[in-house]
Amino acid sequence: MSHRLEFATAHATEFVDITDRVREEVRRAGLRNGRVHLQSLHTTLGLAVNENEPLLLRDFEGLLDRIAPAGAAYEHDDFARRFDVPIDEPANGHAHCRQLLLSAFATLMVEDGELVLGRWQSLFAVELDGPRHRQLALQLDGEFARGIEKESLQALVELELARQLMVDPEPVASPMRRLVEAGGKRLRPRLVQLTAGIGPHNDALRAAELAAAVELLHNATLIHDDYVDESTHRRGRPTVAAAEGPERAIAVGDYYFAKATRLIAQIGNPGVTSALAEALEAVCASQIDDVAMRGSYPGDRDSYMQVIRGKTASLFAAACESGALLSGATPQVVEALRRFGELLGTAFQMADDMVDFSPSSGKPVGLDIRQRVLSLPLIYAAEDRVVGPEVRRLLAGSLGDAEVGRVAELVISSEALPRVRQEAQGLVDAAVRELEAVELDGLQPVLVGLARSAVDRNS
Amino acid sequence: MSVHLLDRELDRLEGLWSDGLSETYRSYLDAVDHFDPELRAKLALAAALIESGIRLQGVGGRAAPPTTLLMGDLCLARGSRLLADNAPLPVQVAFARAIEATSAAAAAEQAPPALRQLLRKSLTATL
Repeated sequence: MSHRLEFATAHATEFVDITDRVREEVRRAGLRNGRVHLQSLHTTLGLAVNENEPLLLRDFEGLLDRIAPAGAAYEHDDFARRFDVPIDEPANGHAHCRQLLLSAFATLMVEDGELVLGRWQSLFAVELDGPRHRQLALQLDGEFARGIEKESLQALVELELARQLMVDPEPVASPMRRLVEAGGKRLRPRLVQLTAGIGPHNDALRAAELAAAVELLHNATLIHDDYVDESTHRRGRPTVAAAEGPERAIAVGDYYFAKATRLIAQIGNPGVTSALAEALEAVCASQIDDVAMRGSYPGDRDSYMQVIRGKTASLFAAACESGALLSGATPQVVEALRRFGELLGTAFQMADDMVDFSPSSGKPVGLDIRQRVLSLPLIYAAEDRVVGPEVRRLLAGSLGDAEVGRVAELVISSEALPRVRQEAQGLVDAAVRELEAVELDGLQPVLVGLARSAVDRNS
Repeated sequence: MSVHLLDRELDRLEGLWSDGLSETYRSYLDAVDHFDPELRAKLALAAALIESGIRLQGVGGRAAPPTTLLMGDLCLARGSRLLADNAPLPVQVAFARAIEATSAAAAAEQAPPALRQLLRKSLTATL
């Protein structure tokens, strides 16, 4: 990362303290660990690290004046003997000689986002021929924490997804590409990328690789889910099973399940590999429970919680955990983020259930009811003293358009939706509290914002 | 090799164990001789789960019904988790590539590679 630091001087000789300006550049760039290199772009401007004490600075000026006095004779100032002398050339031989005693370069180390300077050390640009307008070239290198904005992070994941699909055989790549290009919230990869910026080993490219692999893994599970649920559409497009048949859907799901696990393993962090492998196992086990529970549809809250912890929350938790592990975060931070992800994933699923009853969501109202998908609003409506008996009676029979519409009406008219919303918001509050116990280096507001927006939605 | 060591790994899959998974497991035992003794059973089971998962799902043939597909998914996921926790990285990668090759062939409606042979070879993968 390169930059120019500009400033004006007011005196012939002047020690300009630029320490705070450089600190600000480090902060803005998000440099966590590395170096700041500075270079004077002038032959009469030097750099020095010393103490900013006014009398000492006058001592330095006196020293420079004694070694290279301004009034002395310098051959450089004998314009008659020089060629191509500009009309405004100053007599500044003394300034050039003084600059020779200083340095034109400085490199400062950065640790944990801070310039490494001793208690009394400041960084000076030393004007030797002022007043003038001056420039310093500045470069920062090392590990950057938040140097990449949200849009760039998302673009990195999209590029990585496209790159991975480009090398795959067309019979599997084509259906997955349609699903990926249809959009999706990309919450899991976003969580990976954000949490991968927390520890000392922040590497945006590796994080994007992991994030894309997690998204492929999630999509692979969706492809199989859609076959199991007999869903015809996802993200506004035909599902793989509906468009290309169950045989192709199973093969595509397996291919990307395997590819994602390989990409994750090849990142080379055993903790990350194990965390995501455990999550995937939890997802699959919960899918079996989910289908088994449809026999007693709509079920009860305890069973619902058990299923969504595995089916949804486990991958959210593992996304947060794996990003933090990749970044080398402390065990306390990793564990706090894992719990954050688990609570957020649970809340997210509850919010997702409510979307089924929102006419403005863009999806047909009551789709989950028709497919007998586990849904907390439906569970609460079935328990409701007023509407519960009718909800249970309708769900016990076959579900045509009229029955689905009536069940949706009953759910909307009951206290089920406010109750679920309140519960989801309570879970987000609990998730946010997990973040308050650990040092997240400024990332807490971003994670809190993401958590709140993930459950405050209608699509 | 004690099967009791694997009890936890067979949770929810007990029916499969008595329905052919145990035989598949035994067929891999001679392919894990070069691993540390405490790893052999887990790696043989991982290979058996992955083979059984693919077969249960009907990959390369007629699609399995939904509940069987989900059981196959669990087999694959557990097999992968066993590999993640116990296998060297080249073995993990080789297993994933074996599944990729098998499912890509199925998606292209081509003859699948010999799965058991692929998986046995995967157990010998090195850098």
